[in-house]
Amino acid sequence: MLKILLKKQLMEVFRSYFYNPKKNTARSKAGIIGMFLLYIFLMLGVIGVSLGFLAWTMCGAFVAADMGWLYFLIFGFMAVLLGVFGSVFSTFTGLYLSKDNDLLLSMPIPVGSIIVSRLLNVYLIGLMYIAVVLLPAFIVYWIFGTCSLAVVIGCLVMLLLVSVFVLLLSCLLGWVVAKLSLKLKNKSFVSVLIALAGIGLYYFLYFKAQVLLRQLIENVVVYGEQVKGSAYGLYLFGRIGEGDWLAMLLFTAVIAVLSVLVWLLLKKSFLSIATASGAQKKTVYREKAAKLQSPDRALLGKELRRFASSANYMLNCGLGLLFLLALGVGLLIYGAEMVPEIDRMLRPGSAAVLLCAAFCLMNSMNDMAAPSVSLDARTLWQVQSLPVSGWQALRAKLNMHLLLIAGPALFAVVSAAIALQDGIAVRLLFVLVCLLTALLQAEWDLFVGLKLPNLHWTNEITVIKQSGAVALAMFGGWGLALVLGGPWFLLRLDAAVYLGIVAALTAALDLLLWQWLKKRGGIVYSNL
Amino acid sequence: MLRIEHLTKAYGDKVAVDDLSLHIRPGEIYGFIGHNGAGKTTTLRSAVGIQRFDAGEIYICGTSIREDPIACKRQLAYIPDNPDLYDFMTGIKYLNFIADIFGVSAQDRQTRIRTYADRFELTADLAQPISAYSHGMKQKLAVIAAWLHDPKLILMDEPFVGLDPKASHLLKEMMREVCDRGGAIFFSTHVLEVAEKLCDKVAIIKQGKLIRSGTMDEVRGDDSLEEVFLELEAEEC
Repeated sequence: MLKILLKKQLMEVFRSYFYNPKKNTARSKAGIIGMFLLYIFLMLGVIGVSLGFLAWTMCGAFVAADMGWLYFLIFGFMAVLLGVFGSVFSTFTGLYLSKDNDLLLSMPIPVGSIIVSRLLNVYLIGLMYIAVVLLPAFIVYWIFGTCSLAVVIGCLVMLLLVSVFVLLLSCLLGWVVAKLSLKLKNKSFVSVLIALAGIGLYYFLYFKAQVLLRQLIENVVVYGEQVKGSAYGLYLFGRIGEGDWLAMLLFTAVIAVLSVLVWLLLKKSFLSIATASGAQKKTVYREKAAKLQSPDRALLGKELRRFASSANYMLNCGLGLLFLLALGVGLLIYGAEMVPEIDRMLRPGSAAVLLCAAFCLMNSMNDMAAPSVSLDARTLWQVQSLPVSGWQALRAKLNMHLLLIAGPALFAVVSAAIALQDGIAVRLLFVLVCLLTALLQAEWDLFVGLKLPNLHWTNEITVIKQSGAVALAMFGGWGLALVLGGPWFLLRLDAAVYLGIVAALTAALDLLLWQWLKKRGGIVYSNL
Repeated sequence: MLRIEHLTKAYGDKVAVDDLSLHIRPGEIYGFIGHNGAGKTTTLRSAVGIQRFDAGEIYICGTSIREDPIACKRQLAYIPDNPDLYDFMTGIKYLNFIADIFGVSAQDRQTRIRTYADRFELTADLAQPISAYSHGMKQKLAVIAAWLHDPKLILMDEPFVGLDPKASHLLKEMMREVCDRGGAIFFSTHVLEVAEKLCDKVAIIKQGKLIRSGTMDEVRGDDSLEEVFLELEAEEC
């Protein structure tokens, strides 16, 4: 029974590698190999190499100071952090919100088998993140430190123990999220707040990490002795990587006991959580006079509600709002100091052009309009059967995008305009270029959303996070930043002239895309 | 009210609807029956303006759906076989959204929402998000939304699926009321007993072709509709 469930689960996990959801067809052999190669390149080539480089800069100092255990401890912690960050949300959704929970529970399958098969997915995701952190660190240690049999076995045991520990931690956090979600009313907003706090913490640690690591490498013996003296358990954990058999045995026993406890908790609570419909208090309807709206306002309201109803949508397509606010705050604090420095280092007017490019870059993370067409999917019949044109429906999506970015974008642009040292003409042109590029980004998002719709998704995350439309929307923003900023260094033009030309070209593109969306786009949408 | 002339629609090589012509007049409840994949939904979706068709013409109150879809859509309401509504809205917000699109006055929408929601016993649930509704509740909400702007023509795809017996009975009453006011109903169904009792006229479609249509008496003769339907199915095989 378990074997059948595991097979089904693996088919689900690797489905996108063998099956093209957009075309509704199986991938070709070349396509499958391409998907796997792309994945390996992204995971190992990008993340793995950068972490391997980090390990390479650290390892020598730790080995020289005979503090190999501290090196393993640091990478073990990093692996736990990344593993839990990557798998905690999938534990909650995968374990408790799977659409086939009811079907499987109605069959003669032991609950334990269902949990195990679901957890396989979580384990594989966690293992993937952990391996990306630990494997480069192990290889670097084997090169610069020791490579005995005990060390190799110790490293593999560490990989296993950390991966199981991450699974246990994800299960516990997933259980807490599940319990909370049964009680919370505004789940999407709470999820966004929690995720934003996590992202904030991540960036805080990221910016602090370099300083901390430098201090650690310089004082590795002092810090090592402090950790060993005050938290002997952590020392023992690090010793696993160095091939300490006793540490391996001890931690294996601890993880085994924890596994049993978590297993009992999951088994006891799974049925009640997976089948719960939520303990929300029913809101009783009280009749009141409706506020009448025009069809355009009603459509805009619908789009805004759609955006606010999904934490995934808000987080993945509205993260740029946060970046724009951060850009504005940063410019208000450091602008007066930074802007003249840029102009001095490069040439007068450079700051204005580069800030335009920076604005485009930050704004490229705002892609609300891109998945909005695909998100209509099953409800597409609704707008199509109502007396509104395709263009009206598209305009509502465009307005939703523009309305959401308006505040943060204006704040960032005005902050930048205040910080600039140029004359009034350059400042005004700067504001104009930024606003025109913001409109262009919104139009571009909608354009790619219409060109690459996916109306057959089963999980909204597919179109919000993993769709070609969203990726192209973002890359389009990056490209715009590059095209906007790049020629400044090749052409020896005055800033006002340069920004004037950019404004004219952007306005022309805006108009072109607007016309396409209005005429052709509306028809495309009506016939989806 | 609804005139379909030589409608043809193909999906690749497969012809879903083949030269189909129908005329639904004011005051008529017109049933549309056929086996799964016969072309009923394609015909309904084409008539509503959701789907483009390859040949033929469809007129709503004399206006071509191809030439002026917006004007046509103002006259009609449509309920698909599986009403996927906006889960992120509450029932009342959804009804107000539909009313806003059709420009229903405050007075009319209030009266109609109250009347229909009370009749379907859905009033207490209107403040709940649609995501919390059962299939039957969604179907009831879709019916209320369809009736909200007092359309002249209502097209429905399997409207009784998911409704409890009381709601089914009520919907039949409401369909008759629309026709008594001079409107028309065109709906597909697999429940032949319902079609037999409710419809003034019926059309039977098979593999995209209209194989029989007319008043109920003309179509069934001395047999039951079920017998006629099964006989026609067997004949063609």
